[in-house]
Amino acid sequence: MKNKRVDGIYIFSPFLRLFHWIMAAAVLMLFLTGRYIANPFFHGSIGVDPTISVGNLMSMETIRFWHFFWAYVLVASFILRIYGWVMYKGDRLLPKFWTKLYWTGLSEVLQHYLFLKSDHQPYLRNSLARTTYLIWYIVTFVLMATGFAMYGMINPASWTAKFFSPVISLLGNEYNVHVVHNYAAWFFPLFLTFHTYFAYRSDMMHGDGEISSIFSGIKYLPGKPADAEDLK
Amino acid sequence: METRMTMWDSFSKRGLSRRTFLKTCTALTAMMGLPLTDRKKVVEAATKQPLPVVVWLHGHECTGCDEAFIRSQSPLASDLVLNMISLEYSDTLAAAAGEPFEKHLETVIKKYDGKFILAVEGGVPLADQGISCMVGGKPFVDVLKEVAKHAAAIIEYGSCAAWGGVQAAKPNPTGSVSVSKVISGKPIIKVPGCPPIPEVMTGVVMHLALFGQIPPLDAQGRPKQFYGNRIHDTCYRRSFFDAGMFAERFDDAGSKAGWCLYKLGCRGPEAYNACGNLRWWNGLSYPIQSGSPCFACGSDGFWDNGPFHERLPNVVLPNTLTNADKIGAGLTVAAMAGVTVHAVISSVQKARHAKNESEHDEE
Amino acid sequence: MKRVVVDPVTRIEGHLRVEVTVDEATGKVQDALSSGTAWRGIEIILKDRDPRDAWAFTQRFCGVCTTTHALASVRTVEDALGIEIPKNANYIRNQMASSLAVQDHLIHFYHLHALDWVSPVEALKADPGATASLQNAILAKYDLGLSGPFDFNTDAYPKEFPRATPAYFKAIQAKVKALVESGQLGIFAAHWWDHPDYSLLPPEVHLMAVTHYLTMLDRQRELVTGHVVYGGKNPHPQYIVGGMPCAISMNDMNAPINTARLGVVDVAVNLGISAVNYFYLPDLLAIGDIYVTKHKMVDGGGLAGKCVLGYGDYPEDSYTGIANGDFHKRLLLRCQGVVENFAAGVMAAKFTNLEGKDYVDPEIITENIEHSWYSYPQAGKALHPLAGVTAPNYTGPKEGTKTNWKYLDEKGKYSWIKTPMWRGKMAEVGPLARYIVTYVKVKQGLMQPTWAEKMIVDQIDGVSKVLGAPAHVWMCSTVGRTACRGLEAQVMAYINKYFFDKMIKNIRNGDTATANMSKFEPASWPKEAKGVGLHEAPRGALGHWIQIKNGLTANYQAVVPSTWNACPRDSKAGSGAYESSMIETKIKVADKPLEVLRVIHSFDPCIACATH
Ligand code: HEM
Ligand code: HEM
Ligand code: NFV
Ligand code: SF4
Ligand code: SF4
Ligand code: F3S
Ligand SMILES: [Mg+2]
Repeated sequence: MKNKRVDGIYIFSPFLRLFHWIMAAAVLMLFLTGRYIANPFFHGSIGVDPTISVGNLMSMETIRFWHFFWAYVLVASFILRIYGWVMYKGDRLLPKFWTKLYWTGLSEVLQHYLFLKSDHQPYLRNSLARTTYLIWYIVTFVLMATGFAMYGMINPASWTAKFFSPVISLLGNEYNVHVVHNYAAWFFPLFLTFHTYFAYRSDMMHGDGEISSIFSGIKYLPGKPADAEDLK
Repeated sequence: METRMTMWDSFSKRGLSRRTFLKTCTALTAMMGLPLTDRKKVVEAATKQPLPVVVWLHGHECTGCDEAFIRSQSPLASDLVLNMISLEYSDTLAAAAGEPFEKHLETVIKKYDGKFILAVEGGVPLADQGISCMVGGKPFVDVLKEVAKHAAAIIEYGSCAAWGGVQAAKPNPTGSVSVSKVISGKPIIKVPGCPPIPEVMTGVVMHLALFGQIPPLDAQGRPKQFYGNRIHDTCYRRSFFDAGMFAERFDDAGSKAGWCLYKLGCRGPEAYNACGNLRWWNGLSYPIQSGSPCFACGSDGFWDNGPFHERLPNVVLPNTLTNADKIGAGLTVAAMAGVTVHAVISSVQKARHAKNESEHDEE
Repeated sequence: MKRVVVDPVTRIEGHLRVEVTVDEATGKVQDALSSGTAWRGIEIILKDRDPRDAWAFTQRFCGVCTTTHALASVRTVEDALGIEIPKNANYIRNQMASSLAVQDHLIHFYHLHALDWVSPVEALKADPGATASLQNAILAKYDLGLSGPFDFNTDAYPKEFPRATPAYFKAIQAKVKALVESGQLGIFAAHWWDHPDYSLLPPEVHLMAVTHYLTMLDRQRELVTGHVVYGGKNPHPQYIVGGMPCAISMNDMNAPINTARLGVVDVAVNLGISAVNYFYLPDLLAIGDIYVTKHKMVDGGGLAGKCVLGYGDYPEDSYTGIANGDFHKRLLLRCQGVVENFAAGVMAAKFTNLEGKDYVDPEIITENIEHSWYSYPQAGKALHPLAGVTAPNYTGPKEGTKTNWKYLDEKGKYSWIKTPMWRGKMAEVGPLARYIVTYVKVKQGLMQPTWAEKMIVDQIDGVSKVLGAPAHVWMCSTVGRTACRGLEAQVMAYINKYFFDKMIKNIRNGDTATANMSKFEPASWPKEAKGVGLHEAPRGALGHWIQIKNGLTANYQAVVPSTWNACPRDSKAGSGAYESSMIETKIKVADKPLEVLRVIHSFDPCIACATH
């Protein structure tokens, strides 16, 4: 069997690519700073002088500042990512639960990943990936909503506090908001593990330029993608 | 004709000077968190408004809120119940009991129909028609509904009345709820806390008495003057939090030095109460100052957020206790192990594939 | 025959209803029923939670005896896990418990009980000048001349001293007059002020007592200042399993406890001693003296002469456990045990010990529910608290409807309070019980008294002299029960001082530890553990029992002082303390049963405690 290469397909707009990386950076920073906020481990458990955290810019104040800084970056890029979603078809590759292709594709890819099937047809973006990204966007939304709900209450009279107060009422009390934020945050390392692995694997197994696509916007697939319609 | 005394009337009747009266007004102004320039308003109010009648009902409670009330220092409990309000029904303090006492309640709610303040201490059990709290042979919920109908305003005193309280913690065997879950159509002021700081309650009563109106409330119905900020945002240990200086365990060097109790599960970052600024016994202390993390005793549902000395609540799995962090870290490690194995199998598969293909090519 | 209902019983904690059947001609009570009418299910709520949080939940059993259930609870968990707390933690807990006892007893006397004896209406008839002289006479006459040990006497002079000027009493009288005339009686409204018993005391006693009612209403808060320093708040100060959260350091202004903070506690400790010595005890003895010597009123004894029970408390130093017997080896108040038949006199009374493993013996302490609104897996079989079950089973009244009672059903279930028993018998607990047990143990030579026990015996003998009656006569009565509470407040005020001093000495020796965290983490616990926690609470012997499985509470049961006293009857064991003391009380006016209120109040009822 010969590798049938088609010409590169241009999928991702510069918007998607740019904000993919900005968001990736923001989320990484948010996770790291968030973990420190959840467990400021710097002195006690490792038994060094407490002021070391201050001297080394690891004070809660500093870390929280960076958490909030990246939170704003995340929100801003999220909004711009939505702009891309509206403008470019290739940026809209979210799951289409109502199509048969979504379900057959899901089953096919799953079988492939479970080593039950040696290959799967080419896709612009397969159903499993589409689903994962949707979940990721929902989780990011939860993080932003709960995050700003907590942040806003620093000044309960503020506009932010009022805007996000339904989040707190929904979850019962502010403590629960922290707990939900914390759980949602843990979704990130899980996502990143699978996401990078499967991107890398796709390149390794199929040589389809998966990884480079998020830089160049172009993928090289071994045939016409099953979901090619989505670009029309 | 019967006239009700104003606070100034009762001061002058007691032979207290105008100066004492004005001094009290100044204290009250400060206590209610108003700028001193508002003293004029307070004086005006105290001279004109009649003493408010208060009816105090008890549901599912522990009387800790009553006890807090009589601990008030400014105003003093005696001044309050004898001169500033007319406490017409309180089964903790009233001399009378039984039938004459219940008759008196009927008289009072009719006589002051639509004019008295109803203070409720305790949750309202609803399970099985409310039979787990009977007063005078009737379910408390029935008594509450009847009295509330005639009240001008209702104070939910303490976390039991405001949120359902300890008895409403899971599995809530008596189906207890807050007062506002059963009463509607009346102004309701929540004064949560388990119990609230004494001067918070008396401050609310004074506000009603002096200004004749409900104090400004936040979105959850609590007076902003007392519940406007998180303890964390007013806590004197906040500088230690910001600097990253934490007590790691009870009685360690950090505990002794009075560092932040965040890592001992302090709920100050989620607790709205006056503990950070007003404190207990007029500024003497509050749980954090005494070395104990706050467990947000004024928040809705705080009883179900244990363990109290840990940042995150327990998740009970068969035979183990865990929490969000342990679950998250565990899943992450499992995921990484999973993809590693997957990668190995994939590369073996790929190698076999490549071999097959090259064999085909040779043919 | 008339059935009289008092519901709600007021000036108590919680929801209590009593029903008495009175012979109107003789005033004799034929039968009496006591019912706790509210139940919150906290024992059920405690299940499957972290045992280290249990203190916070149980503390909310009651805000009047706040801290008692927190203390019993941490002791229980520490017993189960084998945690030995540091000395300072023990001293601090003892200070908190004893200062609470002073304050709780004092509030009870003035604000919950006094209005059964004195009336503001009678106070109007008093002559302020005569009241002032009476005040001085009382201070002189009723000084028992007792004191506890002092290591550091920081009190230069008695700052809290009753004012004894005519002008002062006149001012108070004027206030009361204005109140009565205003028609807005507030808390004094609608009571049986015309009851004949209010004329037993001279008007001056009424005025003095009403005055002190007000003074103490404003001062009581300061007695528990220690709670706010050590536990951050009151009611409901904070505890931790393994010790106390209030770290001690003499190097830090930010430390929860340092010299400045101890200064604040010191003032409160001294105030407690003054408040009891100059107000509470003299007032109490003056009233009691008139009732007993002049009017021979010694009814309402009930179970006191038959069977009383105590657990003992105030460990001198740390101990390794309760069920293993170590707790009882070094107590300051060794009132553990049961005394039967005290009515026959101190030497004829029968003492039975209650120590160590007795508390986990399935036969010795049990609870039954024959007349309580609960069901047990096996009907009729009483359960030990370690195997205890709390399953509600409401059956309604005898007459009336489920939600509108006329009369409760004395033949069936009628209360949310369970029925605790000692070896199948009913027992009374409380200050009176503690005093009887201590008195009998010392007088019968069963133990060498500690300073506190000696003080108790001296108090009893001193009062017997004042009243001209032997201990077993005046003690087994409404007055006796009330008197022992006041006497105990005095002992407690000195115990507070004693442990404060001990703590100072210990800190001086360089020990500032307040918590033992070695077994704080559930990983260090056995898979299963069980424990008992004991405390002599203001209202009597308190026990908590816990079973821990896999780091969580599998079962939690509390048998509370007011559960013992207010419990419904049992077909084998008879009537509980409230019921039998009401039966032993004469009622002058059937539809104004002031005597019932008075005898019930002599127990200082706490029904939220009793039912929980
Ligand atoms: C914090 C880290 C990251 C996050 C949150 C993230 C998130 C995402 C999301 C949401 C998409 C879908 C594009 C869209 O619809 O917006 C995506 C696509 C992609 N990401 Fe990431 N990413 C992260 C890191 C990385 C890294 C480190 C790599 C490289 C190894 C990578 C490679 C890719 C590739 C190749 C795609 C295109 C996949 C496709 O749809 O075919 N990402 N990423
Ligand atoms: C991918 C996104 C994010 C991740 C992974 C993340 C992670 C975390 C984590 C782990 C914590 C500690 C939770 C706790 O125990 O309280 C935290 C706290 C917090 N995060 Fe985020 N976060 C994210 C986004 C945001 C956003 C968008 C905001 C918005 C302002 C935000 C605001 C906060 C706030 C206010 C706190 C509490 C800080 C404190 O109370 O000191 N986070 N975050
Ligand atoms: N009974 C009782 Fe308590 C006491 N004293 C508890 O242990 O009152 Ni609330
Ligand atoms: S809020 Fe707390 S203190 Fe007040 S009655 Fe309820 S349990 Fe007691
Ligand atoms: S002790 Fe609690 S409230 Fe105070 S700063 Fe630390 S976390 Fe915040
Ligand atoms: S526990 Fe409650 S008393 Fe204040 S510090 Fe926390 S809100
Ligand atoms: Mg019980």
